[in-house]
Amino acid sequence: MDMLIAKNLGVSAALPDGSVPVIQELNFSLPQGKVLGLVGESGAGKSMIGRTIAQLLPPGFSVTAGELMFDGQDLVRMPAETRRELLGREIAFIPQEPLSGLNPVLTIGRQIDEHLARLGIGNARARRDHALGMLNDVHLSHGADLLDKYPHQLSGGMCQRVLIAMAFASRPKLLVADEPTTALDVTIQARIVQLIAEMQERDGTSVVFITHDLRLAAQVCDNILVLYAGRPAEYGPARSVFAQPAHPYTRCLQLSNPAMSGPRRALYALPERMPGLSAIKGIEGCLFAPRCPKVVPECTRALPPFVDVADGQVAACIRPETTATIAAPALSASDAPQAGVPLLEVRGLTKTFRIGGGLFRNRAFTAVKDVSFTLHQNEFIGIVGESGSGKSTVARMLCGLERPTEGEFEIDGREVSDGSTSSRAHLRAHVQMVFQDPQSALNPRRRIASIVTQAMEAAGGTSGKERLERAEALLLEIGLPPDAARRFPTQLSGGQRQRVNIARALCVAPNILIADEIVSGLDVSVQAQLLNLLMQLRRKRGFSMLFISHDLSVVRYLCDRMLVMYRGEVVESGPTDRIFAAPSHPYTRTLLAAVPPDDPSAVWSPQPLETDVVAPADMLQEANV
Amino acid sequence: MMRILPPWLRSARVLGGLTIVVIISLCAVFAPLLAPHDPNEQDLIATFLPPVWAKGGQAAYLLGTDSLGRDVLSRLIYGARVAMMVAVLASFGAMMIGGTLAYIAGYFGGRIDSLIGRAVDVWMSFPPVIMSLILMVGLGVGLRNVILAIILVDWTRFCRVLRSEVLVVARKDYVAAARLVGFSHWRTVTREIVPATLPLLITLVSLEMGIAVIVEAILSFVGMSVSSNTPAWGQMIADARQYIYDSPWNLLFPILAIFFAVFGFNLLGDGLRRTLDVRLTATQRV
Repeated sequence: MDMLIAKNLGVSAALPDGSVPVIQELNFSLPQGKVLGLVGESGAGKSMIGRTIAQLLPPGFSVTAGELMFDGQDLVRMPAETRRELLGREIAFIPQEPLSGLNPVLTIGRQIDEHLARLGIGNARARRDHALGMLNDVHLSHGADLLDKYPHQLSGGMCQRVLIAMAFASRPKLLVADEPTTALDVTIQARIVQLIAEMQERDGTSVVFITHDLRLAAQVCDNILVLYAGRPAEYGPARSVFAQPAHPYTRCLQLSNPAMSGPRRALYALPERMPGLSAIKGIEGCLFAPRCPKVVPECTRALPPFVDVADGQVAACIRPETTATIAAPALSASDAPQAGVPLLEVRGLTKTFRIGGGLFRNRAFTAVKDVSFTLHQNEFIGIVGESGSGKSTVARMLCGLERPTEGEFEIDGREVSDGSTSSRAHLRAHVQMVFQDPQSALNPRRRIASIVTQAMEAAGGTSGKERLERAEALLLEIGLPPDAARRFPTQLSGGQRQRVNIARALCVAPNILIADEIVSGLDVSVQAQLLNLLMQLRRKRGFSMLFISHDLSVVRYLCDRMLVMYRGEVVESGPTDRIFAAPSHPYTRTLLAAVPPDDPSAVWSPQPLETDVVAPADMLQEANV
Repeated sequence: MMRILPPWLRSARVLGGLTIVVIISLCAVFAPLLAPHDPNEQDLIATFLPPVWAKGGQAAYLLGTDSLGRDVLSRLIYGARVAMMVAVLASFGAMMIGGTLAYIAGYFGGRIDSLIGRAVDVWMSFPPVIMSLILMVGLGVGLRNVILAIILVDWTRFCRVLRSEVLVVARKDYVAAARLVGFSHWRTVTREIVPATLPLLITLVSLEMGIAVIVEAILSFVGMSVSSNTPAWGQMIADARQYIYDSPWNLLFPILAIFFAVFGFNLLGDGLRRTLDVRLTATQRV
């Protein structure tokens, strides 16, 4: 029996210049006990489908066509009271941000209790027993302690498990999970996904799994629906969509994601980005045509019909047979230049923070412990590890934003960790940092030209005209039009802002770039553009980079060597290929196993779900780092 | 062709507040030209005259006369001088002290921050009116000391509000980035942090001006501000208080003058806050 059916569903947004389709021609059916993956980049309309199910559309958005049937009832046209009865009972939700999904001023126990009371579980004692059982089901030990905790005292993964426990408390028929693992570390992502699968199997729940990660969807889902600009691009069984994508967009998504195994290949970088709401109206014919590598004139005549390409697999493309011929450009030998002389030598770097701040209860917390490595010229080193492993602290120490407690580092043969003025100048000339969040890293009140040439402003003695010329040259180098120089950061997209961020660091022509999670939070197609840009810049400029990331596949693609950090210590280091092929430390093995494999038919076996024992001191550390 | 005005000039609040403030400022600057009489000229035959539209009013005294036969309108216009002088000097003075300490505390953080924070806490634990009266006793009467007293009492307001804003901005990555490309502390603060907090600063100054007008009126009411031959609104209220049953007009006009001045400054401050604060305008756009 089908639990959720969308028949030609359409959602429109009322904009000042008329109504724009946000979702169009959406058709799918989700049988009982199966998992449907909704895949696409940001702005594709994935979350809008989740909101349509709950009928929580933003103001100005409304369902304009078709129907959405849940268990034989139309969710769109049913009275609000009926729907309220269904939501939270029959239809449960797991949000993207576990911390904002829980009320910060109420204890976990209170929140579970409220939910259970609404579900009609009689007295307080029964509810408490029920709550403990629920927490046990999601492998949270020490349930009784947990009930008295506030959300900020738990880690993100634990909060997400509490939310999963609450979602499954009513044994719902349908679960909508909107990017439930995006904000979490890979190892925790694997556990959460396993947990949802376990609970779903137990209760026979149907799941709508919204994600941007095609590889993850292929592992988790029975069926996949790939969305592009609100219109389905491809729909079919997960394995076949992943193995033989029929729509060029699916294929390009796959090729823009770095592989975890096999020979390293170049990334396919889709040009530009997905059209926004206001741009959709201006596109004639296929919405993907402006970016499609296989576009022919017929594509721009009319919206492509949905064609059956294989058993149960449909694609909105008029030439699905050409999709398989899309290939990523080959990786040339010059993409991996030979490493040169040692540039940066780090010896025994240690950073201890004092926490608590009390007069008598000063506790020390070692964020980084005895880190040593050497970075050669032309070499990219990746630092991987979960949040709180000390990766970012290493970065901040190496560019002089934090003073190391112990240890020292040498840049180009000169010791610079003493913090003197001349050391700082030396450091500045050789090391620059690219920050993680371009939103926070670019001053919204400065124009792009002024941002990228800030180093010249600091040095002084240059005219405005010189600076503008330099800015335009830098923008050209990082692939932005020169007229972007006069704009403000808010007028650029996320990917473009990150390019500006890189351009600013390149202004002083440093030998070493430190990049802290610079592609996290970006769509895969934009990520591919940026990774290719970094490769290209290395070829041209020959700099070294310390690339900090939680994404192992990106590190594998970009870096020659890597360091694995765990709780402030480097547990394994060596050439990337060697570590991926034969990890020696158990933590590295856990990390690698947590990433879904490239081949969806391969068995994904992340480490078994151990009930995690988080001592209070550890929780404190997680909250502080 | 219509010129495009900046958003803060298109707000009704800002325009309303600005109009009132400009009118009062013009009165203050051009008092000798605008006032029909010398504010201290006494006409002992024509005391307690009502305003011109009431029964018994004279065209020579538009808003009537007080107990000594002085022209109320002229005294109000001259009183604007004292009010505006105090408003401008006291609020800028408080901004200079409070703002500087706020930037130092928020930017450097740590021990300096907690030191300045404690100083503000201790300072704010004195009730403001008592503290200004004590200061006046210690400093002696006079307009200069009124301004000094307001500055010494109210700098904490700037320091506390601004510090939390500076703290947020100083933790942004672009401030760290500015340090990394070689900006000095001075340049980082003036080029990266001050522009981001300027809207708040302007708003606070505007609100502080309204407060300064009230404090000056209180102090001149109790006779601690200007000498008796300089007309001030608070002094006019004090004079009229004794004859409240004979001539309520005399009490009403200076009260209205204070009311409009404070209303104007607050309206301006509120309007500026709404239009200049990026966060507020951003939420309005969504």
